[in-house]
Amino acid sequence: MNAPPVLPSTRREFLRHGLRGAGLLAFSRHLPWFLAASTLRGAPRPEKDRSVLVLVQLAGGNDGLNTLIPFDNDHYHRLRPTLALRSSEVLPLADGLGLHPALAPLQPLLDAGHLGLVQNVGYPNPNRSHFRAMEIWETAAESDHALSTGWLGRYFDNTCSGGPHDERAPRGIHFGAELPPSLQASRPQATFGVTPAIGRRGLRGPERRLAKNLLEAHPAAPANLGFLSHTMMDALVTEERVGRILSRYRPDADYPANRFAQALRGVAALILADLPTRVYFVSLGGFDTHSNQAATHARLLSTFAAGMHAFQHDLRRQKAGDRVLTMTFSEFGRRAAENHSAGTDHGTAAPLFVMGESLRGGLHGHPPDLDLPPGADPVHSTDFRCVYATVLERWLGCPATPVLGGAFTPLDFL
Amino acid sequence: MPASPPPLPPPRTAWEPLPPEAWTAATARHLLHRTGYAAPPSQIERAVREGLATTVARLFRPSPTPERPDSFGRLDDLRAEVLAAARAHGMSPEARRDLQRELRQARNTAHQDFSLSWLRHAADPKHSAYEKFILFLANILVVGLDGVRDPILLHRHHQILREGGLGPYPDLCKAVSRSPAMLEYLDLQRSRRENPNENFARELFELFILGEGRYSEEEVREAARAFTGYRRRGEDFFFARGQHDSGSKTLFGHTGSFDGDQVIDLAFQQPAARLLLPSRLIREFLSEDPLPAPYLEELGNHWAAQDFRIEALLHRFFSSRIFHHPGHRGALIKSPIHFYLGLIQDLHLQVAPFPRGSLPFLRQMGQPFFEPPNVRGWVGGRLWINASTLAARRSLVDFLFREDPEAVLNADEAAALDAARRQGPVLLTVGPQRFATFAELPGEMIATRLATRLLPLDPPAGFAAAAAAFLDQAPAGPERNRRLALLARRILLSPHYQLC
Repeated sequence: MNAPPVLPSTRREFLRHGLRGAGLLAFSRHLPWFLAASTLRGAPRPEKDRSVLVLVQLAGGNDGLNTLIPFDNDHYHRLRPTLALRSSEVLPLADGLGLHPALAPLQPLLDAGHLGLVQNVGYPNPNRSHFRAMEIWETAAESDHALSTGWLGRYFDNTCSGGPHDERAPRGIHFGAELPPSLQASRPQATFGVTPAIGRRGLRGPERRLAKNLLEAHPAAPANLGFLSHTMMDALVTEERVGRILSRYRPDADYPANRFAQALRGVAALILADLPTRVYFVSLGGFDTHSNQAATHARLLSTFAAGMHAFQHDLRRQKAGDRVLTMTFSEFGRRAAENHSAGTDHGTAAPLFVMGESLRGGLHGHPPDLDLPPGADPVHSTDFRCVYATVLERWLGCPATPVLGGAFTPLDFL
Repeated sequence: MPASPPPLPPPRTAWEPLPPEAWTAATARHLLHRTGYAAPPSQIERAVREGLATTVARLFRPSPTPERPDSFGRLDDLRAEVLAAARAHGMSPEARRDLQRELRQARNTAHQDFSLSWLRHAADPKHSAYEKFILFLANILVVGLDGVRDPILLHRHHQILREGGLGPYPDLCKAVSRSPAMLEYLDLQRSRRENPNENFARELFELFILGEGRYSEEEVREAARAFTGYRRRGEDFFFARGQHDSGSKTLFGHTGSFDGDQVIDLAFQQPAARLLLPSRLIREFLSEDPLPAPYLEELGNHWAAQDFRIEALLHRFFSSRIFHHPGHRGALIKSPIHFYLGLIQDLHLQVAPFPRGSLPFLRQMGQPFFEPPNVRGWVGGRLWINASTLAARRSLVDFLFREDPEAVLNADEAAALDAARRQGPVLLTVGPQRFATFAELPGEMIATRLATRLLPLDPPAGFAAAAAAFLDQAPAGPERNRRLALLARRILLSPHYQLC
């Protein structure tokens, strides 16, 4: 007779081996989260109705002025003598404003009202260091104040996601090996990082039994031993589950073969598998275009647009397009004036994208004033924390003030 | 089964020295796991033999300066070139950009070499406790690569901590206020008499000396004026008298034309100054949950009476009854650096002489060397642990058990390894032969020995039997050796091994 596998990877597998719900409760501290959660509720409760946020980081500082382009503005052409795009090249959007032509794959989303842009987003006293500026966006801190937690980490801290054991399901899933600081909470919150190694690390047979033995913590043991045991158990179970979901996924759209699009494909797979996870994080890097920007920027925007389009298309075909909001952010825009290397240096405010079927598409907020003295950069007209407040209150259903440490007026894209 | 630990001693006697009869192998093991990175039997025996006071004094002896990396010289040269180029006119933008790129690369190389040279230094058990303690100070008196940019200045800052790490804490704070890395990191370099920058003054009170809410905004403004004129020239501090605001300032109830040092002295007269460093010490080395206030006050008052000498605080703390209380054993989570250097020491390996052998792992585990998330440093404790950092800990262990580490090295790495081997043996990973010497022993005995040797706590009941079943299924030979290696890996990836 084969012994039952000691680390079950599915609910069915666990139950098949004769464990009964009532008996499990006594040990629920060490149970895989999905089992403890469903046992407590009496029945599995798919989280079908939950709204989901997908955060897309454009790392390096995306050039806002050449993303949402004021092609009729004389100042724009003065500031960008070689990099400016002409009205004949851009995808017209509103009077005097158009999108970079590489964003063409997003045109159908714009037409359907499923894509919005919030213009000229930033914060007072902008910082031009990648590290610090990114940290400001991640932590939602004032520019002269350091915080140790990310805005979504504080969202996790401020909400419980449902049942008493739901907090052991990943609250956030990120693509990449390191926890994005945006998801860093003040206390341990389950998160999970998807890396290419997923699915190749399973434990089998006797080694698995040994691992299981070592995960059993005695109740009188130090609290951190119990914490480690259940975090490890959850990580093992989540890894197997996520690996299986990703390998079995059949998308309803053609995702390009690049890493960014494949990460979004993974996000779609996990959303459609009805994990209780409500926050996903994906990153696209390379936007730090100090020299010979034109070709690089076009390539990046094209990668971005194709991936986003495939993702939204996939969700729509599978009837999930209305419960997923995708939002971009970048640590800063580029300087208004191009530099002498046909590139742009670190600047200030920039537009960001919001995508989904449940939002008001088109332009939001006000464009930057480009009538600037030499060397100056646009001053933001929308504080990024107003965008966060919108997402927290109107999408994730969480009061924004405790998360953001102050009152910020939500915007009308939701 | 572990019984519930006895209650804590009362605050008045908690910090008294542990009675000599309580200084045993168990307490010595606890001390070594906490102060250093590993507790090998030979070190436990030595500590028991020498006694607690002697052991603590030996552990916290200042360690020598780690080797200065060769690449610092190259970086120095390049900086001079960049300066010269900035002065010279007529350099093309392309040439300027190339030079900047070269400078960036030289900085990266220098920082990697600095990191590796420190890891090698700290991996030597003679230096481990002091270097671990200096790293703790560096997580209070924080500077980071992102704000400082120049690893030579970070190295200098580290040296300032190493030199002042046992002296009076006010003196260390004064030295740090002159640290060229700190001048950059908290903007004193850019603070002007007409427009004092408050960044340093605020963190001095909030993070270095007093704690949040123990000072007013007015005091920050006044202190910022006192620190105007602090500048660096290259790697050295200098006082720019013309930029210093020598006018009258009022803070903490005193008025005078205070300079920076006097502001630090005034801050140390505040009652809160007695508590900040001791509370950080408790959190880092004793318990993630704060001790009740009377314990902290008792320790802080004793320390203040010793003129805030850090050495006195360390001796008091690590010799105390409460530090050695059984309830504290194996209760803290190892930092990534502790985990890495602990593995190196426990497995008798050497720090790989190329970045890929350690630095990417430290980054993925959440503690890249001298790259804290911000001025508050790493929070640590349970926040070291999430699914991603656990996966990184596993990758590191996998790497240290690779059977063919040298097959995957690139030319640079192979050359670095050759160069290192001319200085002495370099063992990168645990080979299958490592276990051959004791493979013949009964599985249960092997499992118990490995667990006792490696873990700060007893493994779960039934572990030895489960391990024996796993091992004894395989006959002597390569398969048994393979399983021994798997068993060792399982122990290193167990929750218990993540604790200290």
